[in-house]
Amino acid sequence: MENCLIVLSMQSSARPSWTPLAWRLLGIACFLVAWQAASSIVKSELILPGPPIVLKALANLSTTAKFWSAVSGSLARVLESFIISIAIGLLSGFISGISQPAKAFLSPFITGVRATPVLALILLAMFWFPSSQVPVFSAVLMAFPVMHTSAEAGIRSVDQNLLQMSRLFHVPKRVMLWRLRVPSALPYILSGAKNALGLCWKVVVAGEVLSQPRMALGSAMQESRLMLETADVFAWALVTILLCGLSEYLFGLLSARANLVYLSVAPQVSRQSSI
Amino acid sequence: MAIQNLRKRFGDLLVLDSVSFEMQASSITAILGPSGCGKTTLLNILSGILAADAGAMAGLEDKRFSYCFQEPRLLAWLSAEDNMRYAMASLQDTNTIEQRISRFLEEAGLTEFRHFRPHQLSGGMQKRLSLARAFAFPSDILLLDEAFSAVDLKQKIELMQAFLKLWKDERPTAVIVTHDIHDALFLADQVVVLSQRPARVRGILQINTPHEARLFGSNELAAYEQQLYSLLGFSTLDQDANMPAN
Repeated sequence: MENCLIVLSMQSSARPSWTPLAWRLLGIACFLVAWQAASSIVKSELILPGPPIVLKALANLSTTAKFWSAVSGSLARVLESFIISIAIGLLSGFISGISQPAKAFLSPFITGVRATPVLALILLAMFWFPSSQVPVFSAVLMAFPVMHTSAEAGIRSVDQNLLQMSRLFHVPKRVMLWRLRVPSALPYILSGAKNALGLCWKVVVAGEVLSQPRMALGSAMQESRLMLETADVFAWALVTILLCGLSEYLFGLLSARANLVYLSVAPQVSRQSSI
Repeated sequence: MAIQNLRKRFGDLLVLDSVSFEMQASSITAILGPSGCGKTTLLNILSGILAADAGAMAGLEDKRFSYCFQEPRLLAWLSAEDNMRYAMASLQDTNTIEQRISRFLEEAGLTEFRHFRPHQLSGGMQKRLSLARAFAFPSDILLLDEAFSAVDLKQKIELMQAFLKLWKDERPTAVIVTHDIHDALFLADQVVVLSQRPARVRGILQINTPHEARLFGSNELAAYEQQLYSLLGFSTLDQDANMPAN
């Protein structure tokens, strides 16, 4: 019996440990195989080019100046819309979190903006703004409610016992805001900002497809579609996905660092859906 | 300081019913009663957080209060000394603040942990920090709400020792709300025993023995303990024996 147990424990320790990274790579590999299989069945590069063709198109594009100007132009728009969304969302979220009347006042507007279809926003923005700013305006309107909701939830999540303690010791409101409310809200704010960043990428590129500014991933994507260069459309989409993923990853690292520096014990935060 | 005929009702629930007692300045008063009898409500009325429905309080006007709670209520992202600074943020004199922080951290035995964050301190040390914060905040009356509960015996004794050491420094008037006879027995100069809700004063016991002479297991303390049990209405675990004769 004892021998059996030893053998069992040896077997379990000898079993390969599948790390999350390995599972992720396996997931990507399966997706690529399925994509290639579908492409082989369709047998038309115009409708569904396979992964090797798309990768080749991407390699070709990356050697052109147009590629880098499109990447830098879209990146600038994403950063611009992200910073504006964060600023507006934090301000309105903090005010809503602290004041109940302000929450009631702002909530119809926030609900209305959240319910507005992104395409309707882009089409309207095209009447009001130059083509380079249409994606920025649309992304701000889509992303700032996400930031607003996170900041508001964070401000409201403050431990009521700590709030009572602060009031009993007559801690000034300004000190309470920066020393208690903001640190309590920080994990919510960082989580909201990460979601807002992903949303900014999606909406900026969608806006660029419709408004056709110079130096833009969306414009390049639309141009390739008109030229019936399906592999290039896939390549531009792939670049967008990679840039979005990379910026979210970098922001995640930054968030973790901020949490470590500012908060020793980060409270649990429920993640919110991005749209 | 005198509290006279305090009454408090929450809707249909009468919580305090004609509670009266007096407190001497620089003394320690324990409010002893069963859980849920209205002790915290009484504490909140004393500090002005709640208003009484009826009754009067004399000698509490313009008094500054400080607090210690059952949970340490520390900000997890601030160091021990920053937690104390935070509580004293309403004070103007920076030199006084820094002096009091250093003095009370030292008396609580936490000087070498002043840069530690709460999660780096043990549960007992967190409670000592909470006590040090309450004493460091300049006040006339210190209110402690079950500050010595939810810890094991060793921690409890260490915490009570820390309390006495800190209290002897400036001897503020202290009001300790507790459901534990031993908190009252070892720390208080007078014990106000409350009944089940609605709370009425069942009796007031003066403990004249100095703190240094309150020896664990001594006959003198046992006699006080018996009087407290008697005021609470308990004489033995046998329920029949506890029942008043019809």
